Amino acid sequence: MNGEKFVTLKVNGKEVTVKEGTLILDAAREAGYEIPTFCYQENLSGVGSCRICFVEIEGQKKLQPSCITPVMADMNVRTDSAQVIAARGAMLEFVLTNHALDCPVCDKGGECELQNMVWKFGPRKGRFTEKKIRFHEKDYILSPVIVKNSNRCVHCMRCVRVCSEVVGKAVLGVIGREAHQEMTSFVRSYLDCDHDGMCIEVCPVGCFMRLPYRYKARHWDLKSAKTVCPYCATGCRMTIQERDGVVVRSIARLGSGFNGRMMCARGRFGYDFLNSKERLKTPLLKVGGVFKEVSWDKALGVIREKFTRADPKKVFGVASARLTNEELYLFQKLVRSVFNSPNLDSTSRWNENASAAFISAAGIPGRGTGIYGAMEADCVFIAGAQISDENPVTDYIVRYTTAAKRNSVIIASSRAMKLDSSSRMSIRHLPGRLGSLLNATALSLYMDYPERLEGTPGIDGIKGKTVEGLGQVSGVEVSDIKSLAGVLRGSASVSILAGVDFLRFREGILGLRLLGAILKTLGKQLEILPLLDRSNQRGAWDMGVHPLFGPGYGEVKEKGLGVDGMLERANEGASDAFYIIGEDILSMYPDRAFAARALSRAGFLVYQDMFMTETAQISDLVLPGASFAEKAGTFTNQEGRVQAAEPLLSPKGEAKTDLEIISAIGSSIAPGFTGADPQRVFEEIRGGLKTYEGIFPGLNDSNGVMVKGSGNTLKEFEEVKEAVSDLGKNTSYPYYLITGNHLFHSGRLSRRSEILRGLLMEPVIEISSILADELGVEDGSRVMVNGRESGAVFSVRVKKGTPKEVVFIPENFEKAPANRFFKRGETVARVNITVHSSF
Amino acid sequence: MLSEKVRGEIRGVLRNYKNLRSACMAALQIIQREAGHITEADMSDVASLLGVNPVQVEEVGAFYTMYNVRKPVGRHHIQVCTNLSCSLLGAGHIVNFIERLLKIKTGGTTQDKRFTLSTVECLGSCATAPMMQVDEDYYENLTEERINEILDGLK
Ligand code: SF4
Ligand code: SF4
Ligand code: SF4
Ligand code: FES
Ligand code: FES
Repeated sequence: MNGEKFVTLKVNGKEVTVKEGTLILDAAREAGYEIPTFCYQENLSGVGSCRICFVEIEGQKKLQPSCITPVMADMNVRTDSAQVIAARGAMLEFVLTNHALDCPVCDKGGECELQNMVWKFGPRKGRFTEKKIRFHEKDYILSPVIVKNSNRCVHCMRCVRVCSEVVGKAVLGVIGREAHQEMTSFVRSYLDCDHDGMCIEVCPVGCFMRLPYRYKARHWDLKSAKTVCPYCATGCRMTIQERDGVVVRSIARLGSGFNGRMMCARGRFGYDFLNSKERLKTPLLKVGGVFKEVSWDKALGVIREKFTRADPKKVFGVASARLTNEELYLFQKLVRSVFNSPNLDSTSRWNENASAAFISAAGIPGRGTGIYGAMEADCVFIAGAQISDENPVTDYIVRYTTAAKRNSVIIASSRAMKLDSSSRMSIRHLPGRLGSLLNATALSLYMDYPERLEGTPGIDGIKGKTVEGLGQVSGVEVSDIKSLAGVLRGSASVSILAGVDFLRFREGILGLRLLGAILKTLGKQLEILPLLDRSNQRGAWDMGVHPLFGPGYGEVKEKGLGVDGMLERANEGASDAFYIIGEDILSMYPDRAFAARALSRAGFLVYQDMFMTETAQISDLVLPGASFAEKAGTFTNQEGRVQAAEPLLSPKGEAKTDLEIISAIGSSIAPGFTGADPQRVFEEIRGGLKTYEGIFPGLNDSNGVMVKGSGNTLKEFEEVKEAVSDLGKNTSYPYYLITGNHLFHSGRLSRRSEILRGLLMEPVIEISSILADELGVEDGSRVMVNGRESGAVFSVRVKKGTPKEVVFIPENFEKAPANRFFKRGETVARVNITVHSSF
Repeated sequence: MLSEKVRGEIRGVLRNYKNLRSACMAALQIIQREAGHITEADMSDVASLLGVNPVQVEEVGAFYTMYNVRKPVGRHHIQVCTNLSCSLLGAGHIVNFIERLLKIKTGGTTQDKRFTLSTVECLGSCATAPMMQVDEDYYENLTEERINEILDGLK
């Protein structure tokens, strides 16, 4: 950035030039010298408590901790003098005075920072003979995923800091003082927290440990593979590890991905579905209403017969945004050039016109937008995103990177969220009324600069309106709108984080486009970062798995139908053959009853997935696909970061990777169709798509590679008919029901993880504290929720800061599917809630 | 559960703090003055009054030795300084004397729950050593007679 000063200093005689304010530790690392650290942790506030990182600075008598001492010009630093080496040993001797030293029974053994350090820097012998402090006899369990042993603690406080500074929960504390301090929960009680295990990942020793991994292995027993988390489009880099064919953990390592050690509960603990006994292992053909195991040859034969005989216009394809880029690319090729059908999509939850307009408004066809760069803006405006639940690690990054600035984050949403406490302002708008808020903000800016903003595309649409009027529609105070506009006006750079609520509510997209255009006209440096929920949603769009555009956002010969249209046609009996990969339409389409009816009339239904999902059960042919852990390929996260993944296991039983299956179907109908070699397919992508031109993401690329601009804009899809949610007074159904992903779940896939299920058993409904008080319920109480056509019992979770009328049911619970409450075309469902008594 | 009186007093001091978390010490002090010690439930209650997590209240309570967290004490809490100056001037003897007088060991509470005896570090009153603090008052230049007198006066 401009105006930054640099200083030059010497480390072990070698000159380095670094930014002013750099820590000696980082300067030394840049010069190529490793300094051991305990309490230091990237991204956390410095405490300088362990003193392992001592260095000698010429002219200063005392050694200085390099992790909290900034460089100064002409410093002469030594990291390896005799004094430094002696001090390291001495500090380690101190650390060991109270350390349990029970390495043989400690899960951390073999990958323990203390073990490694003592091995490297001594002391070989301790001189202290005092009795060690013991906090407890047995390890204690802190959560379904965390087990704790405080007797091994080195008091680095990384756990406490990460929990509050990164995760934003602050449920761990420092209890007691000096050598007697214990980092633990309130009175060591069971934690009701985000269960992300960040405390485990940062603990250098065996204090915070994974309960599911307890006594399972030493790290050298494990086989590892680098991959990408399958649960949201934050796209965290992770390494999954198996022993004897069983996946036992997934870890995020410093230096191996843009997310460093960060992962959420889903990424860190949701791996065990891979081992599930319920994984599909053979193709299953429904004969007389029951599934029969069949060979691949038979299955492919049936597909060839059904799909070649079908009328191409009546052939539909849906591939989940969890597949790899290669699979998605090949899928669209199959549907378009082998089935000759224009009808394909990557999700059943969103309307294709809305997604095309959103893609265009968010500038997705342009180059990628890195999150760290976006966080440097003067103002970070988060809109239409349930970020704390749907993109947890994105939430962490926003929290810790903006903490020093304090004042940059503004949130607009209809539900309270964890990130509110890290924002300067959190605006609550009515569900489905984000558009009015954005328009009101745009209007307020227009009133400040009428001349400059004249002619901005879309401006005419709001001219006759008033800020007051729009504010009222959106349920937001005019003063809040004015302050939001004021902050935007005063910021030289603005980043907008736009989430999938734009698609869920099918509105606000025009407002987003208008606000973006205004900010650009006003000369702001603008970045828009989409926040997406399915892991490879951006990849799916990039690959052209969309009825309105092709790979690289190019034009298609013929525009096709999205899932909405497909189901409509199927319902009318105008569907011959339907090929679905991994998208459990029945549980995700926002009108369950309609989806069930339509799919039952869908002609020949082929469903390919890892599990017998609800949609699989009503299909004619089920093909066993593979998980991310069994695939090589690439994924593109919400930023446009392309990351490579390698397989850890081979597909279960006779299952095949989705790439192999797509390729086999293609070749059985059109001999010579692209083979199932991911590398070759990626080459084809690289050759055909401007966005991926020259992109070579390697497994060891810790930052992946950002996509480039495609040259297309999708401007032709800008105009979209937005939904208007019905928020009229209704005394029988007074509450607005909204849905989205739960913090512990992503769609239905994560529901196959025993560990994640263990974090939360029953379906929950989140209600405001005001409503809870009114109903006289609290966390864990049961309530009956009734919609016009269906009802179910939920366990209550109380959220402070959510407006009274707004209630939230996650889309993930099969026992009480959220989509049962929705009717086609309705983006906000109406419900009533009564206290449930079990008698 | 905090009594309405304590709750009211805490609410009263909250006003003095811009960041409510800073009111933690004052709140704990109010509770201790009233009840002699602080329970887990008290800490949870303080946390909700302050809008923080209970563990952050426990941190404060556990850091300062003057809070009797989860340690019930008698009606009167005798804290004898045994740091350097006081020790040089006979704090050890004072402690022994009180132990014999009340028939308890340091850390213990009399059967009638009237007194609890503790030893503490320097209370900053070295010039008048040996000394002790009972409840919120200092008693200085201690002798056996003075102690008899003082304790007799505390019911
Ligand atoms: S799992 Fe996360 S929220 Fe829970 S204690 Fe650990 S760091 Fe904090
Ligand atoms: S528990 Fe682990 S992370 Fe926390 S202070 Fe102790 S050693 Fe450090
Ligand atoms: S679910 Fe999203 S935020 Fe969580 S670990 Fe996976 S990619 Fe990261
Ligand atoms: S790492 Fe520098 S003081 Fe702990
Ligand atoms: S040593 Fe007792 S008051 Fe200072």
